[in-house]
Amino acid sequence: MIFAASLAAAVVIVVLSATALALWYERKLAARMQTRIGPQFVGPIGLFQPVADLLKLVQKEEIVPMGADRVLFALAPPLTVIFALAAAAFVPLWPGVAVVRSDVGVLLVIGFGGLAMVPVWMAGWASFNKYALLGAMRAVAQSISYGVPLVLAAMVPVILAGTMDLDGITQFQATHHWFGLWPIIPGLPAFILFLLAMLAESNRIPFDIPEAESELVAGVTTEYTGMQFGFVYLAEYVHTVVGAAIGSVMFLGGWDGPFAPGLHWLLLKTLCLFTFIYWIRWTLVRLRADQLMTLCWKWLVPAGLGLVFLSAAWNQTGWSR
Amino acid sequence: MGYFVDTLNSIGATVRNFLRPPVTVNYPAVIRPRPERYHTSFALLHDAPGDELCIGCLACERICPSFVIEIKQAPKRESPVTGKKRGYVEAFTLNLTACIGCELCVQVCPTDALVMLRTPEKPAFCREDLILDVKRLYANEKEKQAAWATGSRLIEMQDPNVGQPKVEKKPAPVAAAPAPAVTPVAASTPAAAPAPVAAEPAAAASEPIKGAS
Amino acid sequence: MEVTTPVRTLPYRKLELYEPEGDMLTLQLGPQHPSTHGVLRIKLHLDGEKIIKAVPYPGYLHRGVEKLCEQLTYVQMIPIVDKDDYIAPMHNEQALVMAFEKLLKIEVPRRGQWLRSLLSELQRVASHIFWLGTMSLDLGGALGGGSTNFIYCLRERELILDLFEELTGSRFHYNTHCIGGNRHDIPAGWAAKVHDAVNLIRARLPEYEAMSCNHRLFIERMRGVGVLTGALALELGITGPNLRASGVDHDLRRDAPYDAYREIPVNVQTAKEGDCLARTHVRLAEMRESLRLIDLLIDGMPTGPINSSRPAKQANQIKIPSGQAYASLESPRGELGTFVVAGNGEANTSPYRLKIRPPSLHALAALPYLLVGHNVSDAVAILGSLDPIMGEVDR
Repeated sequence: MIFAASLAAAVVIVVLSATALALWYERKLAARMQTRIGPQFVGPIGLFQPVADLLKLVQKEEIVPMGADRVLFALAPPLTVIFALAAAAFVPLWPGVAVVRSDVGVLLVIGFGGLAMVPVWMAGWASFNKYALLGAMRAVAQSISYGVPLVLAAMVPVILAGTMDLDGITQFQATHHWFGLWPIIPGLPAFILFLLAMLAESNRIPFDIPEAESELVAGVTTEYTGMQFGFVYLAEYVHTVVGAAIGSVMFLGGWDGPFAPGLHWLLLKTLCLFTFIYWIRWTLVRLRADQLMTLCWKWLVPAGLGLVFLSAAWNQTGWSR
Repeated sequence: MGYFVDTLNSIGATVRNFLRPPVTVNYPAVIRPRPERYHTSFALLHDAPGDELCIGCLACERICPSFVIEIKQAPKRESPVTGKKRGYVEAFTLNLTACIGCELCVQVCPTDALVMLRTPEKPAFCREDLILDVKRLYANEKEKQAAWATGSRLIEMQDPNVGQPKVEKKPAPVAAAPAPAVTPVAASTPAAAPAPVAAEPAAAASEPIKGAS
Repeated sequence: MEVTTPVRTLPYRKLELYEPEGDMLTLQLGPQHPSTHGVLRIKLHLDGEKIIKAVPYPGYLHRGVEKLCEQLTYVQMIPIVDKDDYIAPMHNEQALVMAFEKLLKIEVPRRGQWLRSLLSELQRVASHIFWLGTMSLDLGGALGGGSTNFIYCLRERELILDLFEELTGSRFHYNTHCIGGNRHDIPAGWAAKVHDAVNLIRARLPEYEAMSCNHRLFIERMRGVGVLTGALALELGITGPNLRASGVDHDLRRDAPYDAYREIPVNVQTAKEGDCLARTHVRLAEMRESLRLIDLLIDGMPTGPINSSRPAKQANQIKIPSGQAYASLESPRGELGTFVVAGNGEANTSPYRLKIRPPSLHALAALPYLLVGHNVSDAVAILGSLDPIMGEVDR
């Protein structure tokens, strides 16, 4: 129990500091992509820029708009962070160790991912702002829609490994092969599908229509100021970091690696996925809301269903065992 | 599928730019070279013997489109240097907060007294810092680098008679004819590049319009 | 160009008669909004997210330039109108100066004409490349691929602004045109730099296209969105790339040539579809055409004076007793014209009335027609593709 509690505390600290680092990393990456220099004054090569941002956000006045639902408005941002962090509890860190080992880990992770929509809707509704409301409507529609291909993509490793335990899935990959690599037919497309659905779930470009700056000013975060805004902003990054970690656990073998299996492999894979997600983010333009729905229901959901059948068929052949 | 191909293409574009050196500079530490004609703030000049050049003729005050110059003329008196009777300014106030940098005041100055500066103006902490009076205008002359433009140079550059007789002699137009030596740098094709400019590149680069008579 | 019968119907539908599918919502898009290109307010009546009525309200950037010009002398006006269309100030100056020259019957010397055309084409490239950047920003957002392309485009625009800075000393508000010609002549070594910049931009254009209009995501957002028919565009007085994208072949550089365009033919770029994608393609094609023209203009730059009248030494040097004139040119946004009625009071040093015809204002007039039926995301794309500059709309 004490071990689990201290591990949980450690994971929270690691995820939050990784998120802070990710903020710096993303800014540096984007700056280099745009042939700029990026943050460089705060600390060595601007490493403490997120700290400076945090201090700035903490100092700022928190304004509650007139007509806003004060309780919901105040409650929503912390909740987003909590739900985003909760999913990190199920990530297997090294063989046999996760903060919470659950037999239905996959289900819980996806469940917490889906729950993240609730505070977004709370924020959008409570803000008493039309832009926030439109953004929240879009977020709910998107989250519900893209939950389906996300579940379908996650079903593929579940079927292949025969377990819903995240650690069990990783163990299976360690002893057999990584799903992103070998059963090319259900594996790789499922990985791509998972990535796309995860981009949508964590509101990244090209699926970031809930907070499309150029249309909806800032979507649900329009009325938020100071640390309240900071929480929502943080939750996005936590969401992406945790999503990348879960993607690498389910498809890229998690802690498994050629030499010494352990946490470092998980971190490395997460970093690679994270870089990929952010590279995509700083390259593409976004879709329109209706195109997003078309893509989801006309292409991704049927593809996901097909992949589930294919992986079941693959399991029947018994080649992977 | 096309989405993936196009996405790969645009990722290719970003990767190519990722490998390029940054185009921005670390501004306060690194300042990009300003071109010759760059101009920001103002200065009033003295002539070689040390007399004030400004004669208080009000030409700049009258032409300023945003009315930022205010001049109070001093009564005419004898110059301490030359002994001739001439005009002076008592107060010369230039309000940089509203200046639009059109350089018309420099152009109309009959004595080349008012010039603009190449040294970039530092941000000011209060509005009073942006109001230049006579003292600060003369201090700018000593402390900062003047821009290329002066009244006579600008007028010279716009002179409608520049190179006129020679152009009539050689009416062959466009790029084929070598430019007359007096004209400011003309066409760019190597064939048409005027010999004097090519011969003295460094001098020509710093004083491009010197040749016109 | 065929003249068609007016097709204009009132764009506004009666909201009382409309039966919504969802809840009705009135959304004020702007005046403070990331993608209204300045300060424009559009009142959107939404059914869910579908626009059923759109009313643009310009006027938030009104600075009284025309009235101010009635008080200023002819020499003083030129740097003031620079601020109208703040993306392409070169054309503002030239349009103003051309009207005065027409009144005074002054002919600009040949080198001055070529220099004006060269500056105009450089400014056109700068303006279009900036437009491509902001268009990507509208579609891709400030924290995303849009901003990456935006910064690429701005980087290349900087090259052109550097050229202008070297020529005139200012990056933006140049005050380089004067009545009778130009104020600044070409410095040594400038021509080579122009060639370098042009070659660099030409070489990098495929990159921007890969990031924007060759990308399927971009195309999906633009195709079939905001279709402007040629007849409606003519009816509303829309000019420039917006008109040419609707299939009307009209360009003042060819149809009413001025300056060096009398000697250098311009290939006018058109498209038929009239949607946002067609406008993108027309602008990109125009950019390529302008790059070609810049090479021709700088290579063929004649020698001689750049100015045909006495340079300004006094504020009230130029006096126009009476008369009126209209002169116009093809700015990056369309026909930019100046109508001037000369003769104000005894001194005759300032006009009685001065009217600037901004192409952006006419482009905005199409918004109520184009926005209806699309959703909020498209509103941003359509507004961006029309390329309105609020400084010019409101003056």
